[in-house]
Amino acid sequence: MLKKTHFLRAGLLGMLLVLAGCAGESNDSGSSDNGDSTQISFIHWRGEDKDVFDEIIAQFEEENPDITVEMTIYPSEQYQATGQRMLQDGSTGDVFTSFPGAQFEAIHSAGFFEDLTDEEFVSNFDEGSITVGQKDGQQFALPYQLVFNMPVYNKGMFDELGLEVPKSWTEFQEMSDTLLENGITPIAFPGADIGPNQFMNSMMMNNAPDEDVFEKLQNGEESLTNEWWVKTLEDFQLLEERGYIQADALGTNQDSAMAMVANEEAAMLATGSYHMASLLELNPDLQLDLLAPITVPEEEAQYEGIHTATFMLAVNSNSEKKEEAKMFIDYLSQPEVASKYANETGQHLTVNGVEYESEALQNTSYWIDERNTRFQPRFLITNAQIEAAVLSSIENVLGGEDPMAAAEQAQQIVEENRE
Amino acid sequence: MKASKTIYLFFIPGFILYAIFFLVPTVSALFYSFTDWDGLSASFQFVGFDNYSRAFTGDSIFRKTVGNNLKFMLVVVILQTLLALAFALIVIKNTKTNVLLRALYFFPTILSSVSVAFIWTFIYDPSLGILNQVLQLVGLDFLTQNWIGNADIAIYSLAITQVWFHAGQMLIIFVAGLQAIPKELYEVAEIEGANKWQAFRRVTWPLLAPSATIVVAYTTIQSFKAFDLVFAMTGGGPNNSTEIIATYIFDIAFRSYQFGYASSISVIFMVIIAIITYLQFKALRSDRISY
Repeated sequence: MLKKTHFLRAGLLGMLLVLAGCAGESNDSGSSDNGDSTQISFIHWRGEDKDVFDEIIAQFEEENPDITVEMTIYPSEQYQATGQRMLQDGSTGDVFTSFPGAQFEAIHSAGFFEDLTDEEFVSNFDEGSITVGQKDGQQFALPYQLVFNMPVYNKGMFDELGLEVPKSWTEFQEMSDTLLENGITPIAFPGADIGPNQFMNSMMMNNAPDEDVFEKLQNGEESLTNEWWVKTLEDFQLLEERGYIQADALGTNQDSAMAMVANEEAAMLATGSYHMASLLELNPDLQLDLLAPITVPEEEAQYEGIHTATFMLAVNSNSEKKEEAKMFIDYLSQPEVASKYANETGQHLTVNGVEYESEALQNTSYWIDERNTRFQPRFLITNAQIEAAVLSSIENVLGGEDPMAAAEQAQQIVEENRE
Repeated sequence: MKASKTIYLFFIPGFILYAIFFLVPTVSALFYSFTDWDGLSASFQFVGFDNYSRAFTGDSIFRKTVGNNLKFMLVVVILQTLLALAFALIVIKNTKTNVLLRALYFFPTILSSVSVAFIWTFIYDPSLGILNQVLQLVGLDFLTQNWIGNADIAIYSLAITQVWFHAGQMLIIFVAGLQAIPKELYEVAEIEGANKWQAFRRVTWPLLAPSATIVVAYTTIQSFKAFDLVFAMTGGGPNNSTEIIATYIFDIAFRSYQFGYASSISVIFMVIIAIITYLQFKALRSDRISY
């Protein structure tokens, strides 16, 4: 073991950043230091939530005049890449957010999470939704948002065409055929960006009902060449070959895919509930709900959808303002504050007692309590290289490769990257 | 004697800057390439040559990125050099039209790479993109493609964007080189009966070799380090078909938290660029001539 060598590390980081051409930070500050008050730094990646956070921060500062909050927002890609490094010296990110999965694991390994287990505000969150922020029985991060990572569909269009939500893979294909006969693309799939990493979850949820399947893949007990993943790839191949997803899907980005659904050229958007508000902005007349493909016979289906508890609030263990940081998280977890955030951003939250006002949120709230959803499998892959291999196999199949060959190629990368 | 010693003092500020921004990062990358440092933890262990061994024998993605980078580099170097030279020959005279044309050709260079990526992602969009629409409009439907979604051609589509982005910069270097060639040499060539091609081959090209060396070397390095364009347009996909060494280093360092391994790839990357640049300098130097 060697001791810190800060000088060399700073140099290395400099070189890697130069080589990688890292982008500059996109920043907005909600307030500034005003002398006597303590300023805490709050960093996250939700640029679309800036306005509502500005309002919430202003209210918090009014109620806590000795604390100011400086909010800095980074693009999510940049945040995933550099977020943890910013936490190192404790001057940034007194309150920070983390993605579940690889980022949570990395920050935990580096010891940047303050243990929140004994904090009173933990009880403000739904107990079942915050397990993803736990490690070895301790609560390190508190997921704030509850996202459903499964296709959003045009309910009005389905009603008009007399279509019902399919309960099996056969019914899903029949439904898709009906849509095609009516000149509608069943699924708008943004294959150029977030499509594969979102849609893989619902496509595989019943093919591999074992929630530990990716853990087993990482430790060598499972293989991508086994039935569960090859079948998933075959299902993707079927979607592509039959035109259930649009042509040239790998060249379509999320904006184009959203436009297809907003213009009613496509019936489903293969992303998640977090796009419902944006779709309604594009076309306020849409009636939306969520629909996950059931890729097995009805009697074999165990899950109806996918959820993710994300945007995990945490306190930096290197911070010198931990108490103030905890006060801010406590404030965010108050039902009235959380309700404001939920309704203005169009998202479900993990906080107890939130009142959803918008029609879209109310209409889909039943997914929280009444449906059997599964935590997003992709976030259970903690090795980023293995995750990339899994996603690449989907792109490979959509690019025309045979599913078994694609699975074999991906499995080779998995084996190269097992720890 | 005293004056000659004093002069070294003036080197110190420059040397300090050079050391901070070039020497220390390079040496530290070399140092960490022999460790398993994750980029975050306070400790790490020496792993000898394991990272290098992994890169050469146990990492199929890395080998793919080297191949992708070579394809990208070849297309960019050949197209960018030829186009810049061709346009430079067209706009060499200092007429008002040519000055305007030079400014137009140079314009993409001043755009930010993210803006360029945004523009070209839209151009390449398979359904809404202007490129496929224009091809359909002029009856060339058979040429329409999924430009950045097809793994077989995506890297070449990115190379075209890179050429569009930087050809104007190289054009300026060629124009400067061409304008420095004495007109008398062309007059002599004409008197000797040389046709236009012979004048180009025997006069222009040899005297342009220093400019061409700079253009080719700079384009090569630029194409190896085209991180931002690739990152913003495809993120290395689909199926790693556009993953180049620079984006892979980023993935390994900042997504997989394997700074030690990323450092070893950075060192290999540096050596590859150095070798290719050296070979280019050597090859182009042989064409140099003075009259």
